[in-house]
Amino acid sequence: MKRQLHLALNAGITFGIVTIFLFLIGFTGISGALLADLFRNKNANPFLGLTPIMLNMLIFLALVGLWAGVSGSRKSKGQEEDPWAPALLGGLIAGLVHGIMVGLVALLVGTLNLHHVPMNIYLAALLPAAIKQFLLALSPNQGALFYLGLFTLTGFLGGLLSRGVGRGVWRVRAGANWKTTWDNFNQITAIKRARSFRYTDYIIYGILLVIVFLIPLVAGQYWNYTIGTVAIYVLLGLGLNIVVGLAGLLDLGYVAFFAIGAYTMALLTAPTPHHLMWSFWIALPIGVVLAALAGLLLGAPVLRLRGDYLAIVTLGFGEIIRLLSTSDVLTSFSGGPRGVPSVGGPTLFGKPFNSSIDYVYLIFLAVLLIIFVTNRLQNSRVGRAWEAMREDETVSRAMGINTLTQKLLAFAIGAAFAGLGGALFASRNQFTGPEDFTFMVSVNVVAVVIVGGMGNIPGVIAGALVLKGLPEVLRELQDYRVLVFGALLVVMMLWRPAGLIPSSRRKMEERKDAGVIEAPQEGREK
Amino acid sequence: MPNTKSPARRVSTYRIVQLVLGVLFAGYLLWRIYVVFIGHPTYGPDTWARFLISGIVLGSVYAVIAIGYTLVYGILRMINFAHGDIMMIGAFGGYFVFEAFKAIPAPTKANPNLNFLNAQPIISVAVAFLVGGAIAALSGYFLEKIAYRPLRTAPRLVPLISAIGASIFLENAAQLMFGSQRRDFSNPTMLTRGNGWNLHIGGSTVILTYTGVLTVVLSIILMVGLYWLVMRTRLGRAMRAVAENKQTAALMGIDVDGVISRTFIISGALAGFAGVMWGVHLGLVYFYVGFLPGLKAFTAAVLGGIGSVPGAMLGGLFLGLVESVGPGILGMSFQLADVIAFGILVLVLIFRPTGIVGEVLTEEKV
Repeated sequence: MKRQLHLALNAGITFGIVTIFLFLIGFTGISGALLADLFRNKNANPFLGLTPIMLNMLIFLALVGLWAGVSGSRKSKGQEEDPWAPALLGGLIAGLVHGIMVGLVALLVGTLNLHHVPMNIYLAALLPAAIKQFLLALSPNQGALFYLGLFTLTGFLGGLLSRGVGRGVWRVRAGANWKTTWDNFNQITAIKRARSFRYTDYIIYGILLVIVFLIPLVAGQYWNYTIGTVAIYVLLGLGLNIVVGLAGLLDLGYVAFFAIGAYTMALLTAPTPHHLMWSFWIALPIGVVLAALAGLLLGAPVLRLRGDYLAIVTLGFGEIIRLLSTSDVLTSFSGGPRGVPSVGGPTLFGKPFNSSIDYVYLIFLAVLLIIFVTNRLQNSRVGRAWEAMREDETVSRAMGINTLTQKLLAFAIGAAFAGLGGALFASRNQFTGPEDFTFMVSVNVVAVVIVGGMGNIPGVIAGALVLKGLPEVLRELQDYRVLVFGALLVVMMLWRPAGLIPSSRRKMEERKDAGVIEAPQEGREK
Repeated sequence: MPNTKSPARRVSTYRIVQLVLGVLFAGYLLWRIYVVFIGHPTYGPDTWARFLISGIVLGSVYAVIAIGYTLVYGILRMINFAHGDIMMIGAFGGYFVFEAFKAIPAPTKANPNLNFLNAQPIISVAVAFLVGGAIAALSGYFLEKIAYRPLRTAPRLVPLISAIGASIFLENAAQLMFGSQRRDFSNPTMLTRGNGWNLHIGGSTVILTYTGVLTVVLSIILMVGLYWLVMRTRLGRAMRAVAENKQTAALMGIDVDGVISRTFIISGALAGFAGVMWGVHLGLVYFYVGFLPGLKAFTAAVLGGIGSVPGAMLGGLFLGLVESVGPGILGMSFQLADVIAFGILVLVLIFRPTGIVGEVLTEEKV
């Protein structure tokens, strides 16, 4: 009982802090707008004096409250029986604590707002309108009491749900791993037979490919631009996947190679500052080769370092490239802070590329090419050497792998892909400037690889779709995108360090010794 | 370094390349120093004095942040990438204390418009530092508990990625909460930025700012205190033991988790103090304020030999000086001061990853 109380208290405080945090970053209001979009009831009539956005916000908050109750009524460690009372009590107490915390904040903020204290000078999200929305247009006292009631009730209901009603069944269902479900699905004989047929996969991929290639025809200009960006991130992700996922080298300065590709394309084809005006098809391979060369040059001294030092050195290198491109020193050479305008585009059979559809197809072709190359590399001698190296460097050296050469190769190929992505990016945007090459780009690409699944092509594509595509669909979430990136990186490391779609080899490792994902020799260091 | 086991011939080639490059660079540096000081002096002694002062002040802030990196690295062998953002949180703590005190009226007969900040500047500054340090320490504690502790046994890259995620999360949370505008740190009038003692050097006056002196004095106190803590107290001894070997330390009855938590609290508090110093001396806070100082302080920690506390202090001072004097000596644009800092980071990691005072890394630690 005492443990359950402790657990419930903890859950209540945690969820209280989370809810207050969501309010302070202005997410509560956004959640209302988002759900209103989802239910398409934005223009519905007010109900009990509450606007649709407020009602939707309440739905979101009630869900948070339920979650708090569920987590407060968890079975405490060593608790054998599964009785009603502790679960309900746990949910109730978690909800009460949650409600008290949020209610106090609502009271405080509401009262200050009533006296016209301009809080949004210090806390940007606390605009008077937002506060009014949060308090449901009630007085601060009523609002606070309302939230106390709401969270207590939902907490109690959460307790009821988690163990009262379900008696554990619920928990088993909720905790069931979709991966196991997938595995069970694959055990069905008919599916097994279909999958063992050699060409099934090819047929599926072919259909997918046709669908993907048809999308740009129906999508508008804006969506084609977005699809192009996502595809470029797929390209970058596949490149970094070789470095991070296969060879196990964390590169935080990947944007540097992207920048080199983009700047090469821009400087060779743009009228300013050099007036070279070369053809796109000449500039493209030059950009790729230059990026690969930069990878070799940086890699040669740096790759002797071990993992975390390598990450920092590459980060430093990326920052150096960005600082150089921002500073006035190189203005005459690379346009300085103002960038390079009117970068040239490709012409094919005398027809210049000018619609966004052309570029989408160009980028798609590049992605296909890269997928092909990656696939071949991964299953080649080189790819196996990389994976061996990632797992255990010493052993792989004993097996006769020249680790330095292999690392250099991985680094250079990854850089070449980034160069290709950069060149296409600059040509598509018809502009390139230092703003495009911040540290955040590197982080995005790392996130794409890690969230999707290291060392795995479908994983990287899924990662790019989730991280770059989803925020475009949910436009209200734009401001929270980077925040979610950060949280996702942490959460992925805590729960699924192998990514959304783990590579098959990693899955096998996981099964062998659950918990240890990478080199077991390093993992032992406690 | 891992290549000690490769064939001897290749190692020696690498060493020769290192040596040649090192000699070339040293020669270039000497030549530049000759040109700048004797050949064609670009700046007078007053300018050099200004560079020196700003370098020492900046360097002492870097040193305080770098100690946090070094402490955590020494114990967990992980780079606490979010350390700079903890510093940002501390800076915001100090900022809000100053703003709150500015809003409290404390009228006297002589000056009815006086606010508490200017009526009691010493108390205000002390409270700002304490609050900044406390909030940062708390964030450090929770950061470790949430983002790092579950990953203690995971391979090295996993906690590093988690740390990067935490850093991005903290930055953006601060941006969404406090807005993205840059805010002025409202110091008490006594500590107005740019005011200070006038020194007469080479025919012109050089200002030794009060805020700069405060920063340096405070960071010296912090460093001495920390050194005493690590070397003389029970907790310090436990920290060193855990850094040496966690399992053995646990066998000796040391609560390893507790020691790690406390290490994060200490390093967070140091970062918080550094954040308030940064705000008081340089006067700006915004959500991204911790990123560059954090990165540079990491450079400083590596420069001094990561894991070593005196090394971090030395490295911080050295980096601050290089950043302010370097562009002058190398005849580069001052926009490129950061490039010099990162260049040093890259060079040190490549040529001498053990740093200036570096410990000899055993195979296990590598």
